[in-house]
Amino acid sequence: MDFILVAVLGGVGALGLYMAWNIGANDVSNSMATAVGARAITFKQAVIIAGVLTFLGAVLVGSHVTETIKGNIVDPYMVGDSHVLMLGFIASLLAASFFVTLATWKEMPISTTHAIIGALVGFGLVAGGQACINWGKLFEIGASWVLSPIAGCILAFLVFKVIVKLIFSRKDPVESAKIVGPAIIGVTVCLITVSLFTNTNVGTMLGIINLYLISGVSVLAGVLFAFLSAISLRRIQGRSSQDYETVELLFRKLQIGTSCFVAFSHGANDVANAIGPVSAVLALSTGSDGFSALQVVPPYLLALGGLGIALGAVTWGHRVMRTVGGRITSLTNTRGFSVDFGAATTVLLASNLGLPISTSHTVVGAVIGVGLAKGLAAIDLRVIKKIMYSWMLTVPLAAVFSAIIFIVLRMIL
Amino acid sequence: MDKTLDHFRAPITDTFRRKSPFDQLVEHMGKVRECIDLLTTGLIRYYKGDYSGFSELADRVSAFEHDADIIKGNLRNHLPNSLLMPVDKGKFLWALREQDAILDHAENLVQMLDMRHTKIPNELQGIFIEHINLVAETVKTMEDAVENIKDLVESGFIKKEREETKGFIHKVHEAEYNADQKKYDLTKKIYQMEKKLEPMDEYHLLKIADWVDDIADHAENVADWLRSMIAR
Repeated sequence: MDFILVAVLGGVGALGLYMAWNIGANDVSNSMATAVGARAITFKQAVIIAGVLTFLGAVLVGSHVTETIKGNIVDPYMVGDSHVLMLGFIASLLAASFFVTLATWKEMPISTTHAIIGALVGFGLVAGGQACINWGKLFEIGASWVLSPIAGCILAFLVFKVIVKLIFSRKDPVESAKIVGPAIIGVTVCLITVSLFTNTNVGTMLGIINLYLISGVSVLAGVLFAFLSAISLRRIQGRSSQDYETVELLFRKLQIGTSCFVAFSHGANDVANAIGPVSAVLALSTGSDGFSALQVVPPYLLALGGLGIALGAVTWGHRVMRTVGGRITSLTNTRGFSVDFGAATTVLLASNLGLPISTSHTVVGAVIGVGLAKGLAAIDLRVIKKIMYSWMLTVPLAAVFSAIIFIVLRMIL
Repeated sequence: MDKTLDHFRAPITDTFRRKSPFDQLVEHMGKVRECIDLLTTGLIRYYKGDYSGFSELADRVSAFEHDADIIKGNLRNHLPNSLLMPVDKGKFLWALREQDAILDHAENLVQMLDMRHTKIPNELQGIFIEHINLVAETVKTMEDAVENIKDLVESGFIKKEREETKGFIHKVHEAEYNADQKKYDLTKKIYQMEKKLEPMDEYHLLKIADWVDDIADHAENVADWLRSMIAR
């Protein structure tokens, strides 16, 4: 291995780490802010949860989306040359990092996901023409960008409706909450367990790959956690049939669970944006044998990405959480719980399907869902327009950036 | 753009408002209630012929009206079309407008009373005091109704809370009816005394009865808008 290659790899690793840091500092903290704003957890707890759970999500379920990013958007065999491909991934990473930094500085509602996808398409078009782009996959991803906020919206709407119908409307809301709350937590844990074992390293390691086995284990885990959370709530007593405060108090505890869910799902989906290109470059650095290596993602790289995200959450995230949490105080615990559940379920599902989506946008969709269920005093829908503009701008701009950087890199290297 | 950049991307913050419109409505209502309480004690002294400090009272009522106007303006100017609320925004604004009209009337009333100190005949003092108390009662029941809207939002508009709000609205109607009846008694008595009274005094007494009763009318209007706001 020559010196230049080591330097390049080091640089790429640093860039990937920077992207991961950025995701942790901004997006994870963003998603955790619903819990902080609803006073379910303190800033310190949020930072710890964000750090640990995002790391776990990244390492355990992060491989699906990472595979999509590194091998499924630009067809490596169509480009052919591993040197060109490597430069391409470096260019994409540079372009995406630059774009995300700019967006963060200017406070545009842009997602790292959109930046990296746009960047990959940009270099792919220059390197191999439109034939090397996997348009089918790209269309799938584009559809998932539209569908994920809608799915988050529908799920959050339903969960909040369930809370209203089965808890608030009941004669004794607090007693009802003690049953319904843990039940939803059970479902949450069940979902996490399913995604944990479906086509992942953990599943293979533990030998839990059979569909029946997975569902069995998941249901068991769900029931166990539902039972545990029911126990943790048993001491809380309601005062009257209109004691909504105590219901919120119950959900304050339960929301700790769903915010872990958010962080976990987030790690599972977003780690790829940082680590996908890095792992591609690493695989390709071994020459053209690297093509087959594009299909797998080494766990230590996922761990590196997870670490970067956790680092971002710890070093910068508290600032974001404090500000965002302070601005969304009208989000009470039942609402926050619904938002968390709707968003995290959607993101985790997308992660398992290998679809890179934006957690922040899904969270916005979930908030709107609770609003449509008459759960919030007022929601400004102008944000939808802003997000749509950001989609339309980010992808082409990131593509152009990455294409230019790619052309320059090809000339000098 | 007046906001400073924090240098992070957070689309979720754009979806939320700093203050809930319902909180602001209740805050505005608080100003109305405080002001009407102040007016009630001031008017009772005025009816009894004690005009000392009435000009200061008029100024304080004006100050209340101004404070409430700021809340109203803030609320009304920041409800864009894109805002998703659990109730009809138009009806919400009408409720606010009627709530604000109470203060406008209170201000007019004290300013007019301050310009001409009208002596209330001894035999009418009792019924005048009863009337203002009934009007104040209407505003008080209306505050309960407005405050209950917050519970309604908190519980996600469940039937139980809607029924409760409707109960409060019913009480406002009852209180307003009582105030109206008292006003008719009062007006009848003023006409019965027309031979004894100076024409200008007569005119003013009738005016006072009207103006005070207007407050209860607007309180009832608020309740009506609340009712249609929460209708399914």
